[in-house]
Amino acid sequence: MNFIYNIKVKILSKEEVAPNIFLIKLLAPPIAQEALAGQFIHIKCSKDNYPLLRRPLSIHRIDKEKGEIFILFQAVGEGTKLLAGRSIEDDLDIMGPIGNGFNIYPESKKMVIIGGGIGVAPLLALGEESIRQGKEVQVLIGALKKELVIGEESFKILGAKVDVATDDGSYQYKGLVTDLLERIIKEGWLADQIFACGPKPMLKKISEIALQANIHYQVSMEERMACGIGACLGCVCKIKTKDKREYKVKYEYKRVCVDGPVFTGSEVVWND
Amino acid sequence: MDPSSQEVRWSGMIDKPNLEVEVAGIKLKNPVMTASGTFGYGEEFSPFIDLDKLGAMVLKGITLKPKMGNPPPRVIETPSGMLNSIGLQNVGVEMLIKEKLPYLQKFNTPVIINISGDTIEEYIELARRLGEVSKEMGVAGLEINISCPNVKKGGMVWGTDAKATYKIINSIRKTTPLPLIAKLTPNVTDIKTIAQAAEEAGADALSLINTLVGMAIDIDSRRPKLANISGGLSGPAVKPVALWLVWQVFQTVNIPVIGIGGIIKVEDALEFIIAGARVIEIGTANFVNPHVTIDIIEGIEKYLTENNIKDVNELVGSMKI
Ligand SMILES: Cc1cc2nc3c(=O)[nH]c(=O)nc-3n(C[C@H](O)[C@H](O)[C@H](O)COP(=O)(O)OP(=O)(O)OC[C@H]3O[C@@H](n4cnc5c(N)ncnc54)[C@H](O)[C@@H]3O)c2cc1C
Ligand SMILES: Cc1cc2nc3c(=O)[nH]c(=O)nc-3n(C[C@H](O)[C@H](O)[C@H](O)COP(=O)(O)O)c2cc1C
Ligand code: FES
Repeated sequence: MNFIYNIKVKILSKEEVAPNIFLIKLLAPPIAQEALAGQFIHIKCSKDNYPLLRRPLSIHRIDKEKGEIFILFQAVGEGTKLLAGRSIEDDLDIMGPIGNGFNIYPESKKMVIIGGGIGVAPLLALGEESIRQGKEVQVLIGALKKELVIGEESFKILGAKVDVATDDGSYQYKGLVTDLLERIIKEGWLADQIFACGPKPMLKKISEIALQANIHYQVSMEERMACGIGACLGCVCKIKTKDKREYKVKYEYKRVCVDGPVFTGSEVVWND
Repeated sequence: MDPSSQEVRWSGMIDKPNLEVEVAGIKLKNPVMTASGTFGYGEEFSPFIDLDKLGAMVLKGITLKPKMGNPPPRVIETPSGMLNSIGLQNVGVEMLIKEKLPYLQKFNTPVIINISGDTIEEYIELARRLGEVSKEMGVAGLEINISCPNVKKGGMVWGTDAKATYKIINSIRKTTPLPLIAKLTPNVTDIKTIAQAAEEAGADALSLINTLVGMAIDIDSRRPKLANISGGLSGPAVKPVALWLVWQVFQTVNIPVIGIGGIIKVEDALEFIIAGARVIEIGTANFVNPHVTIDIIEGIEKYLTENNIKDVNELVGSMKI
């Protein structure tokens, strides 16, 4: 396990990039130094103890040189709303970097990165790292409607190819982002790895497509968390594990916080 | 002699107050322990605190065989607290001995193992096995969980009936000379009779409270927020209940009482000590502030110094009425 810091960091900037979606930049040198794409930080949103528990948010971008990290989040409930209301220069109590992060195989040449809604949050750092390593990156973004498409520009600036699907057709393709994945596979653009984060039905559908096309698939999972450091066993998801001696499929509840949040798609038990 | 140093001594600033306490025959550096299930197997917190500074560590509840636990979602925040339905997921006693306890050997902090079972035989076998390795693996004592609300069999069933409490504690007492702490549930009509039964059965100390049974509903889907429907409530929300029960039990038994429930700052810990707790355990607060145990130890020392109390034991049960 990597070392997890618990530090107070400064909010350097805050911006509402889409309705109710916020981008916050934090000065957090020790965390920025060690952070990997796909890891998250565990944030104390309140200054008092209400809400009580921390909230997990993915590390959206890592700037190792400046010692900065970015978070991108949707204000959905008490914790994230409080966070959205925090001011620049405020101190924020965070723990991180936490989790395993994505595993980019050295031999991979082509990657598909798929984000549904706010699920793009952990994927920008992944896109950046993939391109730095010289991979060809195709990004697929799914959103309810045009205003909620996030990250398109950021991925394009990195040099990735980006396609978008909206549920209502208000921007680019009308339909599901998984349709776009099926389309590119049909067209013969076969990736070596697929990465995704977003709503569960989307992740599950991608798992089926990836299995059929025989493409290795990594998925960033979400569960409600308490400790965020592997101690409470609150954040589990059901994972298939093969017993090597018995050749039997076994199931295990693994902790999303420290055993994940990234799991191999074919190991996740989706119908649970 | 330098007169200024005398002045310092007279004002009581030189001698540090005594924080050492003894509970169930276990000597602790200070009265702060971790609550089972909220501190993993100790190692998870080593990036944040020096485990050597703790009074004692109580590890995640262990069963004879590994346990898979309940389906997710297992945790949900509620006003000033949280519900959990972990269902005692754990690695089983053999893995605990082989893979978790060795790490804790290098610390000079007593390790207390919280045990659970479906049957009396399982508790007995666990106590026997842990007794067998206690010297070699540094097991200082057992906390007997007869109060887990999240498992179908066993668990809380033992702790809600005085006769069953007597039977299980007494069976374990006959099996092992290890210090025994009986962990009580608040989900009872009269905690005093349960506390008495545990004392008569040979418990060396009592710890309370485990979580209160509760639930939460998502009004959009009209489904329970926890897959298990019910869960155990913990955190600041339960503190007044826990405090009242500690005070009642303190007046009833002659063995030391360990206070648990919603402690998140030093004032909470002091309330429990004043109500009669010789030692306290910190649970949910570890999730909010991984450094909270150390903050509270330092806070207790500061309180004693400021109030000119030489020994924390003087404070135990000192509530004025
Ligand atoms: C590893 C990880 C990384 C995450 N990264 C991001 C991110 O980068 N950006 C982002 O916007 N969100 C992210 N989330 C989700 C985020 O943690 C939740 O939205 C947040 O905790 C909600 O807190 P709240 O107090 O605002 O809402 P609450 O009042 O607690 O709940 C409001 C709503 O959010 C839902 N919710 C709460 N917690 C979670 C959760 N852990 N997972 C899924 N749904 C939840 C509830 O069901 C409810 O409908 C991540 C979650 C995990 C586990
Ligand atoms: C996530 C979680 C897991 C727990 N697991 C156990 C357990 O395995 N055995 C046990 O005796 N108590 C367990 N408890 C109860 C705590 O040890 C403690 O009694 C209770 O949470 C009240 O204290 P608190 O309000 O400080 O958390 C657990 C509590 C939580 C929140
Ligand atoms: S949140 Fe506690 S183990 Fe993952």
